[in-house]
Amino acid sequence: MNVKSMASILTSALEGFFFGSGKAHVVTGVALVILAGLAISLWRMDRRLSRLESEQNDPNA
Amino acid sequence: MNSWNSLWKWGGVALLAYVILRGFSTPLQPGFVQASPSRLAPGIATIALDAIGQPFATATDAHEAFTLILRSGEGLIQTELTGLTPHRVEAKVAIPATLPSPALDAFLFTPEAGTLFLGNAFFVEDAANGSLPAEVVAAPPAEQEPQLGFSFPFQPNILESVRNLLWHVPMWFAMFFVMGIGFVASLAQLRTGKVNWDHRAEAAVRTGLVFGLLGLATGSLWARWTWGAWWVSDPQLNGALVTVLLYSGYMVLRAAMVEDERAGRIAAVYNVFAFVMLVILLMVLPRYTESLHPGKDGNPGFNSYDLDNSLRAVFYPAVIGWGALCYWMYTLRLRMNRLEHHLLTR
Repeated sequence: MNVKSMASILTSALEGFFFGSGKAHVVTGVALVILAGLAISLWRMDRRLSRLESEQNDPNA
Repeated sequence: MNSWNSLWKWGGVALLAYVILRGFSTPLQPGFVQASPSRLAPGIATIALDAIGQPFATATDAHEAFTLILRSGEGLIQTELTGLTPHRVEAKVAIPATLPSPALDAFLFTPEAGTLFLGNAFFVEDAANGSLPAEVVAAPPAEQEPQLGFSFPFQPNILESVRNLLWHVPMWFAMFFVMGIGFVASLAQLRTGKVNWDHRAEAAVRTGLVFGLLGLATGSLWARWTWGAWWVSDPQLNGALVTVLLYSGYMVLRAAMVEDERAGRIAAVYNVFAFVMLVILLMVLPRYTESLHPGKDGNPGFNSYDLDNSLRAVFYPAVIGWGALCYWMYTLRLRMNRLEHHLLTR
């Protein structure tokens, strides 16, 4: 099985998933996108706070 | 920290919990999604229509309580119900040799679920153009008020994804809210020159960008399975993209300048300009152009027709809840800006 046919199987599975059950899974996908976005945002804030903490502990850094 | 300071945060979280529970558990009103066979010929035919959403019938319902009518042009054709399940109706119909229109719409009058409709459900091949013979003409029954309880409206093509209204649209409301804070802060900074206002504007734009990007991503995913494409070149969509790019420009501008009072003033002027563009691109222009996106009249987020009372009861808490969460994120970034300023200038 080549990469192209594997990709087409994956794509059609994705299509079926999102079109099935009257497109209810599109809502799940949207909710997951928002969760991922908030997680990335939190992670960036976390990194920035860590940097500020290290600056506070070592003013010459 | 006083009690109000944590109350609004948990209030926002509680509202969003309510939105998730109600948004996912509320059933959809019934509606037809498919007719078979799609092509008919004059003569006796057996047809079936499939619905999704709440059941429109129970297994014990009498066929007599339901009426299925096909419409050709202005003419109504009667049918005889042969099968009824919660999500499917089957019928026998005598298709006449002359029809006002070969495209047939289907109406199912139900005692409790209102009237189900599917436009262009069937297409009749080899029928002559003419008026209906009197023996097939149906008299429409009196329409019953639906008694469905709390349920979301059925819309063709959108189907169950109508629930996305509770996720996608509040992203833009939250962005608009926090960008408004940034706009006011930038105006105040230009007036007073105080660095505190600059901290507020920067925190607001950074938070607003998160919600703007989420609005674009969720909208793109929704568009893929309702319009069939990840992106369509449409005034409302392109306006939203340009708005997000303009605000990204604000972040680039800040990163490119050494932080001083002059840089702060330039950033503030740019931010005031960006907010004016946001209002024009998202609030004004979409009302004067053709668009696939709903919301031509009234609010550019949705039609007043789309938003019925059941959606309203969940949508408004969603807007307030996301607004609170967005404001919370904004205050965290503001505190970090102040802390950083304090560390750099001590």
